[in-house]
Amino acid sequence: MNRHVVISGLLGALLWAPCNNLAGQTSSSEQADEPNPGSAAVHRDQRTGTDQDENSDLARLPKSVPRKADTESKASGRAANQRIYIENVFTFSSQDDQVIVPVPQSIAVSWQNLLFLDVRKQWKLADRLNFTLSDRLHLRAEDNLAFLNHASVINSLREGFLSWEPFQRTYFDLGLINLRSGAALGFNPTDFFKTRTVQEPLTADPAAIREDRLGALMLEMQHVGQGWSLTAALAPALLSPHPMYTSTGLPSFTPSINRTNDKTRWLIKGSVRLGSDFAPEVIFYREGNQTKGGVNLTRVLGQRVVVYGEWAGGERASLIDEVLSFGRQTGSLPPSAPRLITGDSTVRFQNDVAAGGTLTPRAKLSFNLEYHFHQAGFSKQDWSQWFSLGNGQASYSPIAQELWYMRGYASDQQEPLTRHAVFLRADWSDAMVRNLELSGFVNCNTYDRSALLQVSADYYLSDSWSIGAQLRASVGTVRSEFGSLPQRMNVLLKVAKYF
Amino acid sequence: MWWTRYVMFESIMNRCQFHVIAAAVALTLVASFALTAQEQDKRPGAEAVLAAADRVRNPGQPFRAQLILTEYVQGKERDRTSLIVYARQDVRTLQFNNLVRYAQPPRDAGKMVLFRGTDLWFYDPASKASVRISPQQRLLGQVSEGDVLAVNFARDYTAQITGEESLRDADGENHGCWRLDMTAASPDAIYSHIEYWVDRRTNRPIKGKFYSDSGRLLKIAYYHKYAEQLGAVRPMETILLDGVNSNLATVISYSAFHFQEVPEAWFQRDYLPRLAPE
Repeated sequence: MNRHVVISGLLGALLWAPCNNLAGQTSSSEQADEPNPGSAAVHRDQRTGTDQDENSDLARLPKSVPRKADTESKASGRAANQRIYIENVFTFSSQDDQVIVPVPQSIAVSWQNLLFLDVRKQWKLADRLNFTLSDRLHLRAEDNLAFLNHASVINSLREGFLSWEPFQRTYFDLGLINLRSGAALGFNPTDFFKTRTVQEPLTADPAAIREDRLGALMLEMQHVGQGWSLTAALAPALLSPHPMYTSTGLPSFTPSINRTNDKTRWLIKGSVRLGSDFAPEVIFYREGNQTKGGVNLTRVLGQRVVVYGEWAGGERASLIDEVLSFGRQTGSLPPSAPRLITGDSTVRFQNDVAAGGTLTPRAKLSFNLEYHFHQAGFSKQDWSQWFSLGNGQASYSPIAQELWYMRGYASDQQEPLTRHAVFLRADWSDAMVRNLELSGFVNCNTYDRSALLQVSADYYLSDSWSIGAQLRASVGTVRSEFGSLPQRMNVLLKVAKYF
Repeated sequence: MWWTRYVMFESIMNRCQFHVIAAAVALTLVASFALTAQEQDKRPGAEAVLAAADRVRNPGQPFRAQLILTEYVQGKERDRTSLIVYARQDVRTLQFNNLVRYAQPPRDAGKMVLFRGTDLWFYDPASKASVRISPQQRLLGQVSEGDVLAVNFARDYTAQITGEESLRDADGENHGCWRLDMTAASPDAIYSHIEYWVDRRTNRPIKGKFYSDSGRLLKIAYYHKYAEQLGAVRPMETILLDGVNSNLATVISYSAFHFQEVPEAWFQRDYLPRLAPE
């Protein structure tokens, strides 16, 4: 009797647990309505060695506020079509009177205050018809400018064009269009429509200067296929070339098509995806009687690095000869103006290259390092002659005027003045403090080791308000590209309100 | 006395036949192993659970949605970002391609980010510049792409079920969950390791814990406010708790879902300036 009781008890005890488990399992798998909730989620944290109740995280949940999602969605969706802001910028510049080549006229101001309204907006006019407007209205005051005269109010109509999509992803655009190309940041050889487009630069950062550049009046056609695209653009010559504008001679409201449409230009570019993440872009460009070609390449290496290369080439004169030609054509230089800097003046195939990469050591910190080659730019010998010729000249002398005119022309063309340069840029979002963005760049002439430096800090006070400061400095000896500039240091303070 | 009871027990045991005990133990072990095997058989495959949970989060057809990312510090709202997302699953790679347009804050309105595996581009309509970015830069506000956009976990991670657990969701409701342990299996995987709780009955994801390569807890996600959207019941809100700073949380609210034609051709650099206004 005892034996049976013991055996039964032992078997029962041994069998009870799994049978009980079986019951639970069967229940959970058979009927989906009442699953076995399982054991409470408690785990041992391997790092701290403590048991952690998974439900304890619930105490950290914020109390979300119920919203009228649909209303908010519609309003928010429309907000994506525009960016409107008003900004005030005060700039103070320190001048260096010890420049080796005297400046013909005071091209720099000691202080300037710029208040502007910036609008970029897209309208959907019909199912396949959109209109884009991009405009900036400046009100300017500076030390050498009488307040509220014609030069105080300047409107930059950057873009205004109709876009029509008659077929799936086939587009026809007509109007003032800012057509951009290029993979690099510091210098874009393939950005052929960049010339003569910047009129009130508030920064020397090439990556930011494009935000306020003028579009050309053109007809653009584009088809975006699956893994490829083809673009053609034609910007006709409408007006004869206008001399370079001085800061006090900018037109108040006239669209600057005498700068962007002074030659007939056309462009064809296409890109095709080769592999999962490689899509080279090839460009053909014709301006007047000159033809150029270009290529853009980008590639990701691992998680943190992007490498890119940009090349453009074609028959052209050197920068020095182009300056003379443009100056004589527009009357800015006398027809008899000599080629001061001697050298090869033949028109030949010349190359432009920007090659570099982006390194992202952390999610919000990135560095760009680039090498720039501009074959038509100044060689070391050209620089030597520039300083030798200008040294000791009076500021009003034709020689000084022509030498500085060369530098102004390169800036107007958005091209490097020198043949070899190295460009380093850094960008750090949420830098040390949340909502603080720091950025800076160094553009270095490899011949004379002079550099242009700029450091910017922007702090976003709220979604609508931001404040910022910027320091720009030219570093180098008096016989160097950047050390010879009359502006040694420039400090900028700004406040912006977004709508 | 304890020793008296011990002597009695020993006496009883001595009277038992050894072979009867052995048979009972063997029978019990066999039954136990058989039941464990049966239990294992009735568990679905981890990949199947993960794929089902992916289907809950991601509609099967191309779609558009509006996202509002609200950041909280110590429970107080600090920041808000609004995004419009267009997503489509690549039939060949099974990865989701996403096109994101910023609607808020106003300073970022109109900016776009293209996510196509490691082919990532940032477009700013102000400068009309398309800049290629590295996978390390794939952030949207304070959160990662993988927290916000359509992502195919079943493609990017290998998974195994490590338990059945009872877990409360963000609304305090109890769920019987599969606990999945997931390890990165593709270069597109954003996290090295994920712990994931999926409701056993509905395959709805309830909670996730996301870890870095070094094993550091980066964030905790709660999926909740399930509602009928685009043909299935899907989470309308994800709450992300920062794994490093316990004061930080981000709430991602989804709305304005609708199926939309999103051709594959949209997911390339040259299409970014062409995305029609809202």
